[in-house]
Amino acid sequence: MFDGLKDKLNSFREDVEETAEEAADEADESADDADESTVSADAVDDEGAGSESVDTTDSDDAESDTADPVDSVDAAAAAAEADSDDAEDSETDSEASSSGPGTLKRAAAFATGKVIIEEDDLEDPLWELEMALLESDVEMSVAEEILDTVEETMIGETRKQVETTGELVERALHDALLDVISVGQFDFDERIAAADKPITIVFTGVNGVGKTTSIAKLSEYLADRGYSSVMANGDTYRAGANEQLQQHADNLDRKIITHEQGGDPAAVIYDAVEYAEANDVDVVLGDTAGRLHTSDDLMSQLEKIDRVVDPDMTLFVDEAVAGQDAVMRAQEFNDAAAIDGTILTKADVDASGGAAISISYVTGKPILFLGTGQEYDHIEPFDPEELVDQLLGNAE
Amino acid sequence: MVLDDLGSSLRGTLDNLRGQSRLEEDDIQEVVKQIQRSLLEADVEVDLVMELSDSIKDRALNEEPPGGTTAREHVLKIVYEELVELVGDSTELPLESQTILLAGLQGSGKTTTAAKMAWWFAKKGLRPAVIQTDTFRPGAYDQAKQMAENAEVDFYGDPDADDPVQIARDGLEATEQAEVHIVDTAGRHALEEELIAEIEEIDSVVDPDTRLLVLDAAIGQGAKEQAQRFEEAIGVEGVAITKLDGTAKGGGALTAVNETDSSIAFLGTGETVQDIERFEPSSFISRLLGMGDLKQLSERVERAMEETGAEDDDWDPESILEGSFTLKDMQKQMETMNKMGPLDQVMDMIPGMGGGMMDELPDDAMDVTQERMREFNVVMESMTDQELEEPRSISASQVERIARGSGTDTERVNELLEQHKMMDRTLNQFQGMGDGDMQRMMKKMQDGEGGLGGLGGGGGPGGMM
Repeated sequence: MFDGLKDKLNSFREDVEETAEEAADEADESADDADESTVSADAVDDEGAGSESVDTTDSDDAESDTADPVDSVDAAAAAAEADSDDAEDSETDSEASSSGPGTLKRAAAFATGKVIIEEDDLEDPLWELEMALLESDVEMSVAEEILDTVEETMIGETRKQVETTGELVERALHDALLDVISVGQFDFDERIAAADKPITIVFTGVNGVGKTTSIAKLSEYLADRGYSSVMANGDTYRAGANEQLQQHADNLDRKIITHEQGGDPAAVIYDAVEYAEANDVDVVLGDTAGRLHTSDDLMSQLEKIDRVVDPDMTLFVDEAVAGQDAVMRAQEFNDAAAIDGTILTKADVDASGGAAISISYVTGKPILFLGTGQEYDHIEPFDPEELVDQLLGNAE
Repeated sequence: MVLDDLGSSLRGTLDNLRGQSRLEEDDIQEVVKQIQRSLLEADVEVDLVMELSDSIKDRALNEEPPGGTTAREHVLKIVYEELVELVGDSTELPLESQTILLAGLQGSGKTTTAAKMAWWFAKKGLRPAVIQTDTFRPGAYDQAKQMAENAEVDFYGDPDADDPVQIARDGLEATEQAEVHIVDTAGRHALEEELIAEIEEIDSVVDPDTRLLVLDAAIGQGAKEQAQRFEEAIGVEGVAITKLDGTAKGGGALTAVNETDSSIAFLGTGETVQDIERFEPSSFISRLLGMGDLKQLSERVERAMEETGAEDDDWDPESILEGSFTLKDMQKQMETMNKMGPLDQVMDMIPGMGGGMMDELPDDAMDVTQERMREFNVVMESMTDQELEEPRSISASQVERIARGSGTDTERVNELLEQHKMMDRTLNQFQGMGDGDMQRMMKKMQDGEGGLGGLGGGGGPGGMM
């Protein structure tokens, strides 16, 4: 999981770095030779005419603007580069800008050996980053939010020449991602240890994301840490739901509370809580029927379960393969029965895992576990810091 | 529904082109951006989006619009053609004996889809059987068995066996008398080598005529890899999209169709076995571009009328056309409307109502209308038979009684009576109209002359007759 995003983030970092290095070279070049700039800038202008902002494959194009005399600094460098460009590498645009920092600031920065990163330097790399995030299933509005944060942090940032742009980018990206993904992280084990027993956990989510399997896995996870648990099948709707949970309970030798199909889900979980109280069981794991967030009836049923059972913890279950819709459903489920955290299943299926980013962003609640396979021990606690470090791991 | 946001945002952008005869590059850039955005938000794979939008842009810039067409029509035509090209036809499924194999990720909805497809084939007069080979997931056998019962079709499975390949072989034999065999398999994903090998083996034993990849409408960019792997392993002839009754746009299906060079077969739109639609490319594109979908609409109306009528022998819709429209008829109509599915889905199929017009209605307009119908129903439950048959004779004191009895107020009861009067009048105008006139009426509605104006306020069922 997340390998895809990792690759793309690395390439983003390289892109920006190259752009910035170019900018630095430009500064040097223009200092040496001002004449060449006017001549070759024209040549570049012709070449740059064909490039468009949606066009990402052509990163060799150099676009420059000679109208503003101040910008001849950039133009000169871009031109010089276009001249010597053997098209073997993938430099991105070093487009001159009229909206960048003022002449004075630039001059000052230049005099002190610093380079200012401008909006246009970032345009293409940011677009690439947006595509990378979308390709990783990060929801569009969330991706845009991340881009804004990165852009805000980077633009106008003066970097000392001793500092590489890579470090700057890495910091901006690191912060933006961590900002989104590590929201209200809490230690699940500690929370369980500290709570009055029995502690009731209700699982919610749409159909087929793996709620029941996650319950079985979590029951095993708890057993490994010395906690007993009872399962309650609040899915009184789906055909085969009782049998499914029953078989997990048999396999793991756990007590299970079920009612007839068509019964009241809140009552089943309530019964399980009573059973847990009477028998000193530590944790009640309450399953619910999968429901689409568009079904008003089922969503109000979920509200009722939440009201009647009043669980200590509500865990939203969604799958790592989910795309843009992840945001919508997380929101709706959170509205119906406020969630405390998320379990992301099928993390072994999908290399990108942007759903993790979208869901934490929109719910403001942490991802707690990843489901990583079909065995009972295929569940892993989720660590956002570790993830972000891993994503940006092979820096410099 | 698939890609419905593309519809509205695209229409919005295209509307900006209204009145222009020439296309500027900037305009096209804007349109292409919108298309990219909508497709990406619908989970269509990034590379495919770029391919599609490049091609639209290229054509819009380079192709000379035929004489007399506006810029808007020109772009619309290109978008339409590119989408048709991508979506292709619906997966061919002849109404004859055949075997269909279902494959897909865990939780994508294979078992439910198997039962739904069986129901669909049964409705077409064939005898289907569902064969359940999932020995891995607990409860899979029970779920499939019960779903098959709901669909009233043959079923084979063996809860004690542990070899899916053997079950498939036995199942085909045991259900020999069935004409359509639908073989359900355990969920698996592209990286599970052993399971991929297993489905290859099932595939060779079953030797299906059609292999369908079942995809959750919410699947993201991962659709590409999954589709590729299943294509490699068994070959994919069609895609079934499930859970389209949620908010997911199902763009993953377009990715899969593109990857496997196949087509879309079925759409799953709900939890019961009836909630399945055959994919109709023309319907799909028409609905997408806001041109309505009369065919789907009339099918739904017919089905709903049949179901409502079947439940109650006393009710004779014909009597309405003979001029006696009572509250009972109105109640029936509302029931029928309910059976046709969510109002917004239905409205979307009416030419001129779908697309652009739907976008203009407030988001909750449909909820309000549906809510109103529910309230009316409550009021009617508190009426006597006499009152239902002859609403015109209801006196003020009766109105008060009904209001009290139904826990509403007199205002609501009067509204209902008003509504009935209005519908009665409308119906009188349509009396003696043959089937052919239906289209004329639709046309009328499309031109905005019809009685649909009051819809948000409760014109509701009247216009649907």
